[in-house]
Amino acid sequence: MNIIDVRNLKKSYGQNNVLQGVNFHAQAGDIIGVIGKNGAGKSTFLEILMTVKQYDAGKVVVLNEDIHSLSITQLEHIRKQISVVLQPTQFYKTLKVEELLKLFKAYYQSAVDIKQIIVDFKLEPHRKKYFDKLSGGWKQIVSLAIAFLSEPKLLILDEPTTGLDPHMRNLLWSYITDYNKRTGGTVILTTHNMDEIELYCDKVMLINNGISEVFDTTQNILATGYQSIHAFYLARVSI
Amino acid sequence: MLATQLKYDLLMFTREIFYLVFTVVVPPATYIFMGQLYGNQTYGANLSYAQTYTPSFILLITFTVVFFAYGFDQVMQRTTGIEKRISLSPVPRKTLLFSNILRSIIITSLGYVFIFLIGMLMYDLQIHLQDALSSYAFFILINAALLILASVIYSFFQNMNSALVFSIVIFQIVMLTGGFAMPISMMPKFVQVIADVNPLYHMNNLFIAVWNGQLNFDSNTLTSIFYIVALVIASLIILRIQNKRKMI
Repeated sequence: MNIIDVRNLKKSYGQNNVLQGVNFHAQAGDIIGVIGKNGAGKSTFLEILMTVKQYDAGKVVVLNEDIHSLSITQLEHIRKQISVVLQPTQFYKTLKVEELLKLFKAYYQSAVDIKQIIVDFKLEPHRKKYFDKLSGGWKQIVSLAIAFLSEPKLLILDEPTTGLDPHMRNLLWSYITDYNKRTGGTVILTTHNMDEIELYCDKVMLINNGISEVFDTTQNILATGYQSIHAFYLARVSI
Repeated sequence: MLATQLKYDLLMFTREIFYLVFTVVVPPATYIFMGQLYGNQTYGANLSYAQTYTPSFILLITFTVVFFAYGFDQVMQRTTGIEKRISLSPVPRKTLLFSNILRSIIITSLGYVFIFLIGMLMYDLQIHLQDALSSYAFFILINAALLILASVIYSFFQNMNSALVFSIVIFQIVMLTGGFAMPISMMPKFVQVIADVNPLYHMNNLFIAVWNGQLNFDSNTLTSIFYIVALVIASLIILRIQNKRKMI
């Protein structure tokens, strides 16, 4: 099942042509990493998929809907099936973790049991803490717990593990891969950690000079002779 | 969903010390303090301190709630990324807007009752039912106008610190030039000039007149009404333009 189909996507900010022809597609159950240097347009690309940013040209189909022609109400309907984790994650700083979960449960009109989410994500010790007082790692875990409240068909993560220690990174990835296996949901993420791409992603898209220069499976990329995705990145992207 | 959002919006307001100090503490404390100093004097058309300054301080609470807890809060949410994160969830923008408006009306109405009770208990404030009803209706109109003005003013801020400094400075300017501290006619000429362009000064005069059943549609009243309406219309046009640009 096609989840995302992007053809010749273009987006500029004034004179800065960030995306100059990106082609991309995702099937149900894919885990796809989007890589590129800082300022390459990764976050812009994800924000277009999240339906919160307009684009100049091309075609973007998300969950079988051409998002260019949709009204605000129709976009809000699509967003019910998409969840996101941003870096840095920010929520209302004077709400406690449990209160945030309840608020977002209302947003998503979700049937998920908050108590179960708290157990699943080991949030019991942090339930009554203000979100603002949590460490960066736990903020990301809470953000992921909120993302899973809607049981989304599409999970978009913008540098979800940046700044996390190895234990928290592993914990976060265990939730993401478990979600992917359990629900068949699609995961699209950006990261600068090429080991994560190699370990967890089925496919990788390299955005370079505004275009999707490479879009292939990690296996195929490694089969072309690169020792690792890290080596592939260094070879393909100049400073 | 609206009820849940409103519940948490109110809860968040009560947890922000900064908002509480400038909305619930400073205006009533100033009202009591000024009353102790000038409580026996008469103002304007032979009005007592309570008749003049009760509507003034209700307006001051309304201003601080709307500008701090609504306007400044918008900047904080925008600059810290909260607005972006919320916009990525399927909550309708109308729900967030209505909740914010209802929150302002609820808190300012509590401020209305609070100042009214202080006036009754400390300064022998009396008001007739008809004046009370028309005053409350006018108060809601002021609420709406201030919400629109705050939305457009704070939409220009991209930095939380500059919005914070602006909020504190504008609070002082409004206190001095809005007729909340002492009659503007007793102030230096340059303060009177600033007062003329301060919409809160015009709102204050109108509210005092409505509160005391003395609203006459003379040239001063009409000038104040037209000035406020013109500012609101200009603000709505700016907000409309900004909303169109927002998704780019």
